Amino acid sequence: MPALLEMRGIVRHFGAVRANDSIDLDVAEGEIVGVLGENGSGKSTLMKVLFGVTKADAGTIRFRGRSLEARGPADAMAAGMAMIHQHFMLVEAMSVLDNVMLGWREAGAWLKRSQMRARIFEASRRFGLDLDPDALVADLPLGRRQRVEILKAVLRDAHLLILDEPTSNLAPVEVAGLLAILRRLRGEGKGIVFITHKLPEALDVCDRVVVLRAGRVSGAADIGGVTKAQLAHLMMRRDVTAARAGDRAAPGAVRLAVENLRGPGLGPISFEVRAGEVLGVAGVDGNGQIELVETLAGLRAPQAGSIRLDGRDLAPSGVGARMRAGLAYIPADRAATSLVRNFTVAENLMLRDSARPPYARCGLLSRAGLAARAQQLMRDYAIRAPGPSTPVARLSGGNSQKIVVARELDRQPAALIAHQAAWGLDPGATRFVADQVLALRAVGASVLYLSSELDEVLDLADRVAVLAEGRLAGIVARGSVDLGQIGLWMSGRAA
Amino acid sequence: MRPAAPVRLAWRPRDSAARIAAAAALSAVCAAALVALSGHDPLAAAVALAQGAAGSPHQIGVALNRATPYLLAGGGVALCFRAGVVNVGAEGQIALGGAGAAAAAAMWPGADVIAALLVASLCGAVWAGVATAIHLGRRVHEVLATLLLNFVALLGVQQALSGALGQKGAGFLQSPPLSPAFWLAKLPAFGVHAGFALALGLAGASSFVLWRTPFGFSLRVAGASRRAAAYAGFSRARTTWSVMGIAGALAGLAGGVEVLGVHHRLIDGFSTGFGFKAVTVALLGAREPLAVVPAALAVGFLETGGQAMQRQIGVPSALVVVIEGLTMLFVLAAAARRP
Repeated sequence: MPALLEMRGIVRHFGAVRANDSIDLDVAEGEIVGVLGENGSGKSTLMKVLFGVTKADAGTIRFRGRSLEARGPADAMAAGMAMIHQHFMLVEAMSVLDNVMLGWREAGAWLKRSQMRARIFEASRRFGLDLDPDALVADLPLGRRQRVEILKAVLRDAHLLILDEPTSNLAPVEVAGLLAILRRLRGEGKGIVFITHKLPEALDVCDRVVVLRAGRVSGAADIGGVTKAQLAHLMMRRDVTAARAGDRAAPGAVRLAVENLRGPGLGPISFEVRAGEVLGVAGVDGNGQIELVETLAGLRAPQAGSIRLDGRDLAPSGVGARMRAGLAYIPADRAATSLVRNFTVAENLMLRDSARPPYARCGLLSRAGLAARAQQLMRDYAIRAPGPSTPVARLSGGNSQKIVVARELDRQPAALIAHQAAWGLDPGATRFVADQVLALRAVGASVLYLSSELDEVLDLADRVAVLAEGRLAGIVARGSVDLGQIGLWMSGRAA
Repeated sequence: MRPAAPVRLAWRPRDSAARIAAAAALSAVCAAALVALSGHDPLAAAVALAQGAAGSPHQIGVALNRATPYLLAGGGVALCFRAGVVNVGAEGQIALGGAGAAAAAAMWPGADVIAALLVASLCGAVWAGVATAIHLGRRVHEVLATLLLNFVALLGVQQALSGALGQKGAGFLQSPPLSPAFWLAKLPAFGVHAGFALALGLAGASSFVLWRTPFGFSLRVAGASRRAAAYAGFSRARTTWSVMGIAGALAGLAGGVEVLGVHHRLIDGFSTGFGFKAVTVALLGAREPLAVVPAALAVGFLETGGQAMQRQIGVPSALVVVIEGLTMLFVLAAAARRP
C-alpha cells in the first residue's frame, strides 16, 4: 500500500519536558493505525505538531508524497487531513446541511443547498452514515453528531482522518456503528489515525497499533498476531518489585468503608480501606475516576450507597462536614478546583479551613494567625515561594501541589482521597507527594490513591484495584499483582 | 520564633487605581474632543463643569447627595460581582425601597425615620430574594432574573402611585409630602443628608466583611472559581442568597435615602437609571466596596457639574453620560489586557 503519512523523528520540548522524543508514525492508504498511550504520553502533542498547532523542534512530515509544513489547522485541512475531536465542533442550532457548508469556501459564495443535499445523501449512503441533511444537530444523539464530523471530512475529500478518543462519548451500539463506518472508509483508501486507550476497540478495528509512553514509541505491533494481554503489556512498564511502599505486616481495622455507592457513570461500587493502608486504584482515565472521587468528597450527590468513615455514614453530609469528619481530598484539577490561581499562597493554604482557628478567631479572619500558619506550613512542606503573599499562579506545578498537600495533610485526616496527585509534576515533586502519602499511612490513616499511571499506583499501594466503566474490575494485594490480569481488567471486558 | 511578617491578600489596589486614573484621563480627552466638535470651548466647558460640581458649598452638597444612592447600591452590586453573581436588579430594588419608605411613613405616622429605612432595605432585600429564588430554584440565569424583575418593580411602584400611595389631583404621579418626622437629618456641612454618612459607613463595613471575615473570603473564592468554592465547602446557594440579600438591602436603602433625604415624597421615576449607574460604579470601583466610594463620588460630581455646564454654556449634560460610559469602557479594556 502506498504511504500516506510519514512522520519521522518528531521532537517537541515544553521547557525541560520532552513531550515528543523522536517519534515516528506511518499511515498507509487504506490503513487504520491505533495510537495508544496514557495521558501525558505525547499523543496530543504529536497530533498538534501534525496539524501545525505547535511547531516541532525537530523532525520531518511527509504527506501524500510531499513535505508538509502546516502553519495551522487550515493548512493541514487544505492538504487533505481532517481531525475529529472528542468534543464536536458543530453548531447545534443549525441543520446537518448548514454545518457541512459552514466555513467551507468550496461550498461556494452562494449556498446551493439542493446540490449539497444531494451530495450529502450520496456520501451518507456510500459510507453508511445514515444522516438526514435537514435534521437539526441539536436533535441528534452524540453518535450521529460524530457522523456529521465524518461527513464533513469525506465531503471535503480528506485523505487522512484523525479521530481523537472517538468512542469516549458513545454508547456501545454507537461504537459498533462507528467501527463499521471506519472500515468502509478504509475500504475507500482513506488513512485513519485512531487515538484511544481502549484495547478491545484497537484490537477490533486497527491494522496496526503504535504505543506511546513518556513521549517515545514504546512499542508497535501488527494486530494480526497480537493478543490483548500482549497489548496490555506494551502499554505498561514492568518492574513491580521495587515498590516504595514496602510490605506491611498487619493492616489495622477498617476505617473507610464504601458500600454499593452508585451515581451517574459510577458503580455500584464497594470497597474498604483499613487503617494504615493505601488502596491504589488504577485504570484508564474516564472510567469513573472523577465520579468516584467527587462523590466521596461530597461534590456530587450519590444515587445510593453509603460512605462510612470510622463507622459514621458521610453520604448525607456536605463537603464541609465530610472534611471536618476527617476526609481529606486532593483533586486532580489544580487549575480551578484545589487552588485559586490568583489568590496568594497564604489564602490558598486556608482555602478549606478559613472559618476555624488559627485562620479565624471570634468570627474574624486573623491576619497574624494566617501569617504564622502560612509560614510554618511553607517551612514544613518545603513550599518554595518568595513569601506567603505570592500569588499561586507564579509558582511551579510542584510547589502549587505542595500547597494542596500541606493544607489537606496538616489537618491530620482519618482518610485521604488523592486523585492524580502527582500529575504533571517533576520527579522530585512526585517523590515528595509519595513520601507524604506514605507518612500519612504510617500514622494510621486510610488512603485511596487514584492514578492513571499504573507505575505510581504499584509504587504506593498495599492493594491494587482497577476501575473500569465505573466499577471495580478487581482488587488484588500488591504482592500478587499479575500485570496481564491488570491489563485485562483495565480493558474493561473482564470480571 | 521570629514574628511573622504581615500577609497581603490577593488584591492590589495600586494597580487598579492607576488603571482607573489612566482610563479617566483618556475619557476626559475624548470628552474634550467631543465638546470641541459640538462647537464649544472645551476649557470653558471644563470650568463650568468644575464650578457646577464644587463651586459652592451648596453645589458640593448636591453632588454628595447625588452620589449617595450610587454609593449604597453600587457597594452591594460590587459585593455580588466579587462573588461571581451578576446582579443587575438594583434599579427595581431601589424603586421598591423608595416606595417602601414612603409607604411606611404614610401608614405608620407614629414610626420614625429609622423604621422607614429598615422597611426600605427589607423591600429591596425581598425583591432581590425573589430574583434569587427564580435563579436558584428554576435555573434562570441571574442576569435575566434580576433584569426582568426591574420592570415589574418599576411598574408596580407606578401602580401604587396611581392608587393607594398617590396624591389625588396632583396631575403627576407622586405621593403627598411626607411628614417631617421622616426626613433624614441634615449634616452640619454642605447641607448633606445623613444618608451620605450612612453610605460611607456601610461601604467601610462591606469592605471589612469582604476582607476580614471568613464569609467575605467565601465570597471572594466563589467569585474566583466556582469549582474551588464547592471544593472548599462554600455552598453556591448560600453564597448567592446572602450576597443578593445584602445587595438588595443596600439598594432598597438607597431608594429609601433618596426619598427621605432629598425629595421628601415618592415621585414616579425618582430613581430612573440609578440601578444601572450602580453597576457602572461597581465596575469602576473594581468590585471593591471601598473603591466604590471615589467612583460614586466621581459620578455624583460629574452629573451635578454636567447640569451646570448645560445651563451655562449649552453643552448637553448627556455628555456626562458619554464620559461615564467611556471611562467604564477604558477601565474594562485595561483590565482585559491583564493576564
